[in-house]
Amino acid sequence: MRLRRTMLYLPGNNPNMLLRGHLFNPDGLVLDLEDAVAVREKDAARILIRDVLKRGEFGSCEVTVRINGLDTEYWRKDLEALVPLGRLDGVRAPKVDDAATVKQLDEALSEIESKAGLEVGRTKIFCLLETARGIFNTYDIATASPRVTAVIPGGEDLTADLRTNRSPEGTELEGIRRNVIVAARAAGVDALDTVFPRITDDEGLRKETSFIKQLGFDGKSVIHPNQIPIIHEVFTPTEKEIERAQKIIAAAKEAAERGLGAVQVDGRMVDAPVVKRALFTLTRAGLLEEGQDNA
Amino acid sequence: MKTAQAGTVESMDCLVTVSEAEPGTGIALTLAGSSVARFSRAMEKAVRATLGELKINDMTVLVQDNGALDIVLKARVEAAVSRLNGGEEA
Repeated sequence: MRLRRTMLYLPGNNPNMLLRGHLFNPDGLVLDLEDAVAVREKDAARILIRDVLKRGEFGSCEVTVRINGLDTEYWRKDLEALVPLGRLDGVRAPKVDDAATVKQLDEALSEIESKAGLEVGRTKIFCLLETARGIFNTYDIATASPRVTAVIPGGEDLTADLRTNRSPEGTELEGIRRNVIVAARAAGVDALDTVFPRITDDEGLRKETSFIKQLGFDGKSVIHPNQIPIIHEVFTPTEKEIERAQKIIAAAKEAAERGLGAVQVDGRMVDAPVVKRALFTLTRAGLLEEGQDNA
Repeated sequence: MKTAQAGTVESMDCLVTVSEAEPGTGIALTLAGSSVARFSRAMEKAVRATLGELKINDMTVLVQDNGALDIVLKARVEAAVSRLNGGEEA
């Protein structure tokens, strides 16, 4: 698995942010061609992002682009300019309402990848669910293409569509977040949370991040670099959790060697799901190579 | 005379203004901004290379720079030229 604790939005027409965003060490980047770019600047932003992608200096970040919505005239041009470079790990699609939208995007990507001589299917899809319909269809959306790697509930647009607004407690998003988690896990994709809009409210961010982590989310979209260390801290296991995970792995290994099915660690039975969770803890702590936990 | 612009004067960006020029007049380039004194040769090379790639021989170009790297300068020149040519809007 790839860590996606934080994915930082970078305004697509801002060279300063596009070139320096990775220096803040988020797990991923979202070069934004949609809401962060004025309509009359879409062309210039597309050229700028293309050239920044060509240069390709993004540290170890997963690199994605938020394209314009499939209900606009821009999204295909966005893909045609950027996908052939072979540098994008994925595209984040706004306002995905149903499986048909994903299929349309999947087909366009396949056509462009094939024409550019790239492996077909290499560009992943991150789906933003920004309407009640999108939330209602989460599982169908997440399973509409093998490219789908994450679903992300919206914040502002979604609450507007629900005829409410965002409150500091997040009451209006609570049920939605729970539903998205179940659908994402059932589909085998990541669940990434929406942005926390109050950029100076560190405590609020910490509280919301702890909550969504407990629900099972894999990470959060980020709009300000200062939010990154706080979210990483919440998602990073404590010393105690790491120690316990290491004990569990060691015990499981020993049990396997001795031909035993289950063993005990600190008075608790250790079976397959417990081992899986322990491996996950070590991955989040950065103590396992990505992919090693698939064993 | 048709004119078009791309970019901004924000930090690490530049504002490029391009105008049509009579055939045979060549590239007339003006560079302005705090880093021009040190980087004018590199900047001129970047602008000329981009115009060359776009097969443009005659054009008046003004660059107001605020610390743009080469790749940004090139992207802004390309966007300005595309707009001048009435290219695809957005």
